[in-house]
Amino acid sequence: MRTPRHWLYAAVSLTAAFFSLLLLVQALWIPVKAGVAQWLIERSWENALEGDVDTQPWPWADTRPVAVLSVPSQDISQVVLEGNSGRNLAFGPVFTDGTASGRDMVISGHRDTHFRFLSALSPGDLIGISNRDSTRWFEVQELDVIDSSERELLIEPGLDRISLVTCYPFDALQAGGPLRYVVTALPVKNQPLRRLPSSG
Amino acid sequence: MPTQPTIRDHLEEDAWQNHAEFAQRQSRKHQAGLRRRPLRWEDRALLIISAILLLLLIIRVETARADENDDDFFGLEFQDAAAIQRTVAMDTGIQVEVTGLTARVHVEQVFQNTGQHWTEATYRFPLPAGSAVDRMRVHVGDRILEGQIEEKAEARRQYSQAMASGKTASLVEQQRSNQFETRLANIAPGDTIKVSISFLTRVNFRDGAFSLRIPMTFTPRWEGAVTNGEATPIHYTNSAREPMDDHRLTIDVDLRSGMNLSSIESRYHDVDIHPSLNGYRVFLADPDTRSDRVFELNWTPEFGSAPESSIASYDAGDATYALLMLAPPLAEAISPQPREVVFIIDTSGSMEGTSMEQAKASLQLGLEFLGPDDRFNLVRFSSESEKLFDESVPVYPAYLEQASGFIDRLSANGGTVMAPALNMAMNLPEQDGLLRQIVFVTDGSIGNERDLLLQIGEELRDSRLFTVSIGSAPNAWFMRKSAEIGRGSHTHIGKLEEVEEQMTRLWTRIENPAIQNICVDWGMDAEFYPEVIPDLYAGEPLWVFAKLPLSPHEVTICGELQGRYWEMTSRELPGSGSGNLATLWARSKIESLEDSRIFGADPDVIRADVLDLALEFGLLTQYTSLVAVDKTPANPATGKSGSESIPSLLPAGSGFSAGFSKTATGWVVRLIMALFAILAVTAMLLYVPPRSPMAPSPP
Repeated sequence: MRTPRHWLYAAVSLTAAFFSLLLLVQALWIPVKAGVAQWLIERSWENALEGDVDTQPWPWADTRPVAVLSVPSQDISQVVLEGNSGRNLAFGPVFTDGTASGRDMVISGHRDTHFRFLSALSPGDLIGISNRDSTRWFEVQELDVIDSSERELLIEPGLDRISLVTCYPFDALQAGGPLRYVVTALPVKNQPLRRLPSSG
Repeated sequence: MPTQPTIRDHLEEDAWQNHAEFAQRQSRKHQAGLRRRPLRWEDRALLIISAILLLLLIIRVETARADENDDDFFGLEFQDAAAIQRTVAMDTGIQVEVTGLTARVHVEQVFQNTGQHWTEATYRFPLPAGSAVDRMRVHVGDRILEGQIEEKAEARRQYSQAMASGKTASLVEQQRSNQFETRLANIAPGDTIKVSISFLTRVNFRDGAFSLRIPMTFTPRWEGAVTNGEATPIHYTNSAREPMDDHRLTIDVDLRSGMNLSSIESRYHDVDIHPSLNGYRVFLADPDTRSDRVFELNWTPEFGSAPESSIASYDAGDATYALLMLAPPLAEAISPQPREVVFIIDTSGSMEGTSMEQAKASLQLGLEFLGPDDRFNLVRFSSESEKLFDESVPVYPAYLEQASGFIDRLSANGGTVMAPALNMAMNLPEQDGLLRQIVFVTDGSIGNERDLLLQIGEELRDSRLFTVSIGSAPNAWFMRKSAEIGRGSHTHIGKLEEVEEQMTRLWTRIENPAIQNICVDWGMDAEFYPEVIPDLYAGEPLWVFAKLPLSPHEVTICGELQGRYWEMTSRELPGSGSGNLATLWARSKIESLEDSRIFGADPDVIRADVLDLALEFGLLTQYTSLVAVDKTPANPATGKSGSESIPSLLPAGSGFSAGFSKTATGWVVRLIMALFAILAVTAMLLYVPPRSPMAPSPP
């Protein structure tokens, strides 16, 4: 005794159910990917430390880990990747192209995954950048909100500094706004006494 | 919601009244429905849709907005305790000297402190993108503030010392690359302020025409007082002698083109044009022109049926600086030369999405441009490389179809391992008598630039390399450099819509190589840049800067024109160059020194060499900056005396501007949306719709 209206109703509901589950999986996929990728990347970083050159986190990866970013006050240790493509940003913080080997370094990360911790930083916090050989320490000097449509990020190869960049505001619902949160840190003269828990 | 009863409703009502069994069944169903607050399913669907729409609306509300920026004012801004006074210049004089693809722009502006107090002020001037001020002189009353190029470390040291000793120091970090800003202190009432600044800027060359743009929007669009939302009101005034005597603008462009021009046009201003020794002079026709529009000058060279050349030189005492300009013949005078075109396409993971689409579109377009006598091949690479044909094939429809299908099927995945692909393309079996042109399409996100450039330098031999960079953040430096080493050119495609225009330009350029393997004999020892002279293509002149011990008399240029040896002699025009030639030569040399770093030169030696050149020729580099030195502080109120140094640190011309990445995923929103949708669907599924739209009371 089913009428076509019932069938239509069932079809609409089931399609809606399918798409909302898809949406759920899509949404959760982002933080899951961010977490799993960091874990894989950390493993490949460990390989890199053991002398394995050109180690890739997974066979089809188009990036490689180049440094470890650590912030003891936030209990953060993340592997920074090469190449600031949107694809790499999903896996972890990335160096802006051309700044990984220079002294003026720029690292970007997603405000709602890896770089959420930037909101908790304050001037004086220490940021460590470790490459294969050593760790250099920087002290947070400035926290700025800038409008990326108005200002540019000027990179001066001669300047010794590190800038961490993420989107702002941190809790904005919509992605893709023009504001950026920029944390600027300058090198500290003396290395801190407290050693970091080794990040691998 | 009352609805018109239909025939069906009438029938149902009839059934209710006349068939007891039906009525019983219906009322049971209805009571079951009542417990769940029946809604008609159309209503529910409407509710769900409106809930979703509402949700989308909430998300659309932007949480934060940038403050209205009123920094777009250019001129002098006096800061008073009570108000901000913005002043437009009385007189503005602009002198431009165009040499090759560079213009030196001198700007002189005069202001007056019309206020009653001693004050300080900020001066702002709009700059063309990528330019930086390297000369500066400010007269305030009878004081002089002068800019000089100093080593950056030294400049910073001076600045922090000035700060530490409590002196007024002003740090002028340029926040935007398109604006010059400096702060002036101790301005007496009635003082006249004269600011002279100077910068180098690029002349664009596109589609056979040169174009120079100088932004000069230093007239505010509004007059009178405006409040900026804060306590301090902002006033706008003209430093004018009389209200009607607005501000005078003079522009004088010295166009040292070195060749005949077929047209000179000013886009937004009336100009007078006079021929001069080595080109043309362009003046603003009307001295009362308001300085509220961009000044844009376009000029088109006139090519002949044979290559032409000219030489300008400047005697600096201990050395002579010279500029050689080579102009190709008309495109019609060159018959296209058959070539072997090898396309290399990057299919690594970073190319995923629009980059890949752009690259594919570029290649498909490239296939269309192949000539009947050409041969071609395709190489694709990510973690591994693959070539379409073992040996380049003629342009037959079957091969084209095969190539087109190959391109269509490409997908982005894997790493970026360029070396084997380049190697594969450069070592394909040689095609007799055909010039090999390698067209390399990539987003250039690689780490081992140095090895690749070395490889290109060593293995390319007689082939030419043309790089096409794709996407929003390509490694432009690597792409440009490798094309330079490969004696080709670099094309950038930022958007999908640009593919056709950019690729057509690249194609028309490379199908007509006019003169190849160019050599220059200066008749004496010469140090010239670029060291590898590129090929001369139809429609595009080229320039070589040289430093010589003596004035050049005869310069012999040789090369290969249409596959045959070609030679011509060029004589210099006496007095045709200016001191600008020395600056530009030094700039080319610095660029070449910086490049040698990639090829393993000692960085400390390079730094020392670059620093020497920069200090000698007054150039901004990554090691130097402009420092402003004020010699006479004269504020009687504070009674300070003695000289005081106010360094202002400006970014070097060699610093670069990084783009911002999109650093938010918005996954939380998606999660909320997903949960809402699931909630809505659950609601839909829980309520089975009643069959009857009417809900009559049970009997």
